Amino acid sequence: MGFEPRIVGFLCNWCSYTGADLAGTARIHYAPNVRVIRVMCSARVDPTFVVKALAEGADGVLICGCHPGDCHYSEGNYKAMRRFPLLGRLLRDYGIEEDRVRLEWVSASEGKRFAEIVDDMTERVRRLGPSRVKTLLEADRVER
Amino acid sequence: MEDRRIGVYVCNCGTNIAKVVDCDAVSDFAKKLPGVAVARSYKYMCSNPGQEMIIQDIRELSLDRVVVAACSPRMHEPTFRKALQTAGINPYFLEMANIREQCSWVHDDARAATDKALALAHAAVRRVVHHEPLEKRFVDMCPATLVLGGGIAGLTAALELSDAGQPVFLVEKDDHLGGNLARVDLTAPYLDSARDMLADRIRRVLESPKIEVLLRSTLQSLSGFVGNFRAEIRVGADGARTVDVGSVLVATGFREFDARRIEHYGYGRLPNVVTSFELERMLREGRILTRGGRVPKYFAMIHCVGSRNPEYHGYCSRVCCMTALKYGHEIKSALPGAYVYDLYIDMHAFGKGCEDFYRRTAEMKTMFLMYAKGTTPEIVPSGPDDDCEMLIKVHEVLSGEEIEVPADLVVLMVGMEAREDAADVAHLVSISQDKDGWFIESHPKLDPVATTTEGVFIAGTCQAPKGIPGSVAQAEAAAARILGKISRGKIEVDAVFAEVDETRCSGCRMCNELCPYAAIEYDAATKRSRVISAVCKACGCCVAACPSGAIQGRHFTDRQIFSQIEGVLEWASSQG
Amino acid sequence: MPEKKLQIALYWGAACGGCDVAVLDTNEFVIGVGFLVDIRLWPIAADGKYRDVEAMADGELDCTLFHGAIRNSENEHLAKLLRRKSKVLVALGSCAHLGGIPGLANQVTKQEILERVYLDNPSIEAGNRVVPLPSTRVDAGELEIPRFYRRVYRLDDVVPVDYYVPGCPPAPEQVKAALQALVNGTLPPARSVIGASNRTVCDDCRRRKEEKKVTRFHRPWEILQDPDRCLMEQGILCAGSATRSGCGVRCPDSGMPCRGCYGPAPNVIDQGAKFVSAVSSIVDSKDPREIERILGDIPDILGYAYRFGLPASLLQRSIR
Ligand SMILES: Cc1cc2nc3c(=O)[nH]c(=O)nc-3n(C[C@H](O)[C@H](O)[C@H](O)COP(=O)(O)OP(=O)(O)OC[C@H]3O[C@@H](n4cnc5c(N)ncnc54)[C@H](O)[C@@H]3O)c2cc1C
Ligand code: SF4
Ligand code: SF4
Ligand code: SF4
Ligand code: SF4
Ligand code: FES
Repeated sequence: MGFEPRIVGFLCNWCSYTGADLAGTARIHYAPNVRVIRVMCSARVDPTFVVKALAEGADGVLICGCHPGDCHYSEGNYKAMRRFPLLGRLLRDYGIEEDRVRLEWVSASEGKRFAEIVDDMTERVRRLGPSRVKTLLEADRVER
Repeated sequence: MEDRRIGVYVCNCGTNIAKVVDCDAVSDFAKKLPGVAVARSYKYMCSNPGQEMIIQDIRELSLDRVVVAACSPRMHEPTFRKALQTAGINPYFLEMANIREQCSWVHDDARAATDKALALAHAAVRRVVHHEPLEKRFVDMCPATLVLGGGIAGLTAALELSDAGQPVFLVEKDDHLGGNLARVDLTAPYLDSARDMLADRIRRVLESPKIEVLLRSTLQSLSGFVGNFRAEIRVGADGARTVDVGSVLVATGFREFDARRIEHYGYGRLPNVVTSFELERMLREGRILTRGGRVPKYFAMIHCVGSRNPEYHGYCSRVCCMTALKYGHEIKSALPGAYVYDLYIDMHAFGKGCEDFYRRTAEMKTMFLMYAKGTTPEIVPSGPDDDCEMLIKVHEVLSGEEIEVPADLVVLMVGMEAREDAADVAHLVSISQDKDGWFIESHPKLDPVATTTEGVFIAGTCQAPKGIPGSVAQAEAAAARILGKISRGKIEVDAVFAEVDETRCSGCRMCNELCPYAAIEYDAATKRSRVISAVCKACGCCVAACPSGAIQGRHFTDRQIFSQIEGVLEWASSQG
Repeated sequence: MPEKKLQIALYWGAACGGCDVAVLDTNEFVIGVGFLVDIRLWPIAADGKYRDVEAMADGELDCTLFHGAIRNSENEHLAKLLRRKSKVLVALGSCAHLGGIPGLANQVTKQEILERVYLDNPSIEAGNRVVPLPSTRVDAGELEIPRFYRRVYRLDDVVPVDYYVPGCPPAPEQVKAALQALVNGTLPPARSVIGASNRTVCDDCRRRKEEKKVTRFHRPWEILQDPDRCLMEQGILCAGSATRSGCGVRCPDSGMPCRGCYGPAPNVIDQGAKFVSAVSSIVDSKDPREIERILGDIPDILGYAYRFGLPASLLQRSIR
C-alpha cells in the first residue's frame, strides 16, 4: 500500500468542528487521513501542540477555526492568526515543509469546504512523503 | 492513573456506523488498552437499553472513566454525561470519539474508516485517563439592573423590570429621557403621537420607587461578572456613584447620519435642504416654513441618505421609507395644496400595517420617483422664472426618463448609524461591534438580546436600525431574560473554565489583554493574575499563551490534549 | 568537620568553560568547600587522569558536576564513566541541562559543520584542507580522536541525571546553594531542577509591567529603552516570561533582554513553542499583512526561541 499521510486536525468546537460534522450529515466524502482533536477555539491551539504532533510522527497538522470576525469567542481566531506566522517561520527553520502545517477557516455551514481542505491537504502531504521527524529522532538515538 | 477502570462503548448506530466501521474490531482493540476494564459494541448506545448498559457496567464493574465511540459529541455528549451522573460518577469522566459524522458517514473504504475509528478511540481512551472530576458552582444573583440609555428601549425595559418589583438604575447621558423618539412627531404607520407614547412611559418611570434615574450620567467602568457587577457612574459634571447590579442592559440607541458627508446634496449650504429630524421639529411645532419664511408648496423627500450605499453605510436603516410616507400624510393634512415627491431606491414597506400605509399614501397623490442604487438625485438652484426654490434632477428608473421636479423644501431621509461613543461603551461592558459599529448579539436568530458576555444584554437601535415595535420588543425580551435570571436567584457557573495556579503565575501579564471577556484580573499587590471563573467561557486563549504554564484550562488541559495527540499518532505508528 | 571528605568530580563536555568560572566565582566558598571535599577530577583547575577515574570503584564519587553538552564520543564516554562512578550526577549549566549554545548546531548537519570548519573556512591555508578522521594510521600505530556526533545531545540523553542546575552559566549563588545542599545532605528529590524557582524571570524582574500590546519589535540597540518598564512592552523581545527564574534577573537588570538560559517553566514542555505563543499573542493587530510585518521584525526565531535548548525541544534538531 502506498503512503497514507497521518494528519492531526485541531478544530474549534463552534465553527469548524460543526462544519466537519455537517460534512458527515451531508455525506460529503473525503480522505480519511485527518484525525480530529476538538478544542473550544482555535485560540486554544498552543504552538506546542503542533510541534508535539510533529514530534510524535504526524505528517501534517491542520488547524481550523471560524472565519475572522465569526469566532464564538469574538476574537480567538485572530489570536490563532497571530500565532501562525511565527510558528510557521519556526517550523521552516526546523526544515519542516510549509505544506505540512496549515491554518484554515471553516464555518459551521462549510462542510464541503472542510472536505475539500482535507482532500487538498492530504494530497499535498502525500506528495511531500512521510515526515522524517520521528525516523530521524529515532535514528539519532540508535546511532549518535 | 494506570489503575483506571475504563469502559469503552462502541455504537453501531443501527448500520450508520457499522456498515463502514468494523465496530467489533474497535471494541476488541479497546479491550487490550491499558486501563480498559470493559469494551462493548452495541446497536444503539444512546437508546435506553444502551445507556442502561453503561450505567450498569459503571456500577457493577466499578468503572471510573467512560469512552463512547459514536456520533458527534455535539449530539449526545449531554446524554451520556447524564448517564454517568445517574450511575453515580462525575459526568466529566466521559470522552466521546466521533466515529459517525467524522468517520463512517464520510468514508467508504471500510479498512481506512476502521483504522481511523481505532485511532480516535485510542485517543479518547488516552485522554479520559486524565479527566478530572468537575463540579458546577453557583453564585448569588444581585437583583438590580443597570440600564444604559433612556430612549424608548431603555424606558420600556426599566418599567418591565420595576413592574416585576426589581430595582433599576437608569443611566441617561442627556438631560432628559426619551432619546431620539422625543424628536419625532407622529409615528408610522398608524400616525399616533410619539409624544403621547413617551410622556406616559417617562411619567411612570419617574414615579416608580424602584427606578433611580441618573441624568447627565455615563458609565465609567464595569467590573465583576453576571450576577455580581459593580458599576462606577459619573453623574453630572462631578458627581459619582457606585452601584452593584446583577445585569446590564445596553440601550444606547443610534445617531443620525451626518448629511453634510454627501456634499452634493448641499446640506448645510443650501438653506432649504433639511434632514428628516428638522422636518419632525417643524411638524411638532406646527410651523412648516422655508428658511425665507415662506410656506413651501413643493416638497421632495430623498430616501436612503447615507444608507444602502457602500460609500457610507451598506445597510438599510429600516425606518426612513415609512417615515417619508408619514411626511406625505402629515404635509398633505397640514398644507392640502402641497405637492410631495418621494425619491426612493426601493420602497421598503415591510412590517405590520406598512404595505397598507404605502397604498394609502399613494392614494393621497404623493408622487413616487425611483432612482437607481448607486446614483443620487441632483439638486440645482431654480431659475428666475421658476416658482420654486430648487429643482431636482433625477433619472427615473421606471419610466427611464430624466425628470426634473420642483422643490421648496428638500428633506433628506438620513439613516441611522452607531453612536460615536459606541466603541467605548462596547469596551466598558465587554461586548463586540459588527463592522458597522452595531453591538453584536449572542445569536442573530436564536439569542437576539443576549451578548457573548453573560449578564450583558442589548436592546433597541444600538443593536441595529429598527423602529419602535422592534425596539420595544427587544427591551421586553431583555427584561424577561433578566427577570428569569433574578427569579432563579443563583447563577450557575460552568464547570469548564480556566484557572491560574498562583504558585506558578509569574505576573508577566502576557495573558491580561487576551481574554475576550476581560475575565483576567491582575492583582498589583500580589503581582499575580487571576481568572474570574464565572466570566471565563473557556476559550483557552490564555492557556495557550501563558509562558509560565500557570493557566490550566479545565477539561482542556495540556495533559489531556497531549494524550490525544499521542493517542491518534501512536496507534497509527504501531500499525506501521 | 565530617569524618570522611566528600569525593567529587567536575567535568566538562561540549562547553565554553563558563560554568567552571561560575564555580570559581563562588570565591571563598569554593575554597571553604575544599576543606570538606576532595576534588578528584576537575580538568580546568586541577590535575587528574581519565585512568584515575577508571580505577575508581563504582559509586566511589559522591557527586559529579557535569557541565557541557554531548557532542562527541569522548563526551559520552566520560559521562557514562562518571555516571557509574558517582552516587549523584548533576547537570550543571544550560549545556548539560538543555544542550546550551552548542545545541544551536543542531540546526545544521554534521557534514555541513565539518565542511565549514575544515574545508571552506577562509583562514585555512590551501593544501591544509582536510577533514580529520576518527582514526589515522601513523608509524607508531592507530591514532584515534573522538567521533564527532551527528548532533548535540543533552546529558540526560545519554545517562540518567539526578539534578539539574540551569543557567548559562548558573548564577554563582545557585551553584553555591547546590554545593551546600550536597555537603549538608539536604538535596531535594531526585531528578529535580535545583537553583531555580517554579516561576519565570518576570516574577523577579523589577521592571514595571503594564499593558502588553506590541505593534513593532526592535533590537535592543535600536531604541532608547525605559529602564523601569518591561522590555517586552517596549517591543524588545525578552524571553524572561518563558524562562524559569533563578539567575537573579541578570539580563533585564543590565538593560538586556533575557535570552532564556534557565530553560522552560516546570509545566512547559517546549520553551520555544511557548515563547512563540506568548509573543505572537501580544501582537496588536487583526490584519494578516500587518501581523506578518510586525513579526517580520523578529530575526532568526529558531535561534531566539531555543537559544539554549534546541536539543531539549520536542523536535530537537532541524529535519534535513
Ligand atoms: C426621523 C425618524 C423618524 C422615525 N419615525 C419612526 C416611526 O414613525 N415609527 C417607528 O417605529 N420608528 C421611528 N423611528 C425610529 C425610532 O426613533 C427608534 O426606533 C427609537 O428611537 C429607538 O429607540 P432606542 O431607545 O433604541 O434609542 P434612542 O432613541 O436613540 O435612545 C437612546 C438613549 O440613550 C442615551 N444614550 C446614548 N449613549 C449613552 C451612554 N453612553 N450612556 C447613557 N445614555 C446614553 C441617548 O441619550 C438616548 O436618550 C424614527 C427614526 C427617525 C430617525
Ligand atoms: S501569562 Fe501566566 S504567568 Fe503571566 S500573568 Fe498570566 S497567568 Fe501569570
Ligand atoms: S480561557 Fe478564554 S475566556 Fe477564559 S480567561 Fe482565558 S481567555 Fe478568558
Ligand atoms: S518580559 Fe523581560 S523585561 Fe519584561 S518583565 Fe519579563 S523578564 Fe522583565
Ligand atoms: S536573564 Fe535570562 S538569559 Fe539572562 S541569565 Fe537570566 S535566565 Fe539567563
Ligand atoms: S470558536 Fe471557532 S475560532 Fe474561536
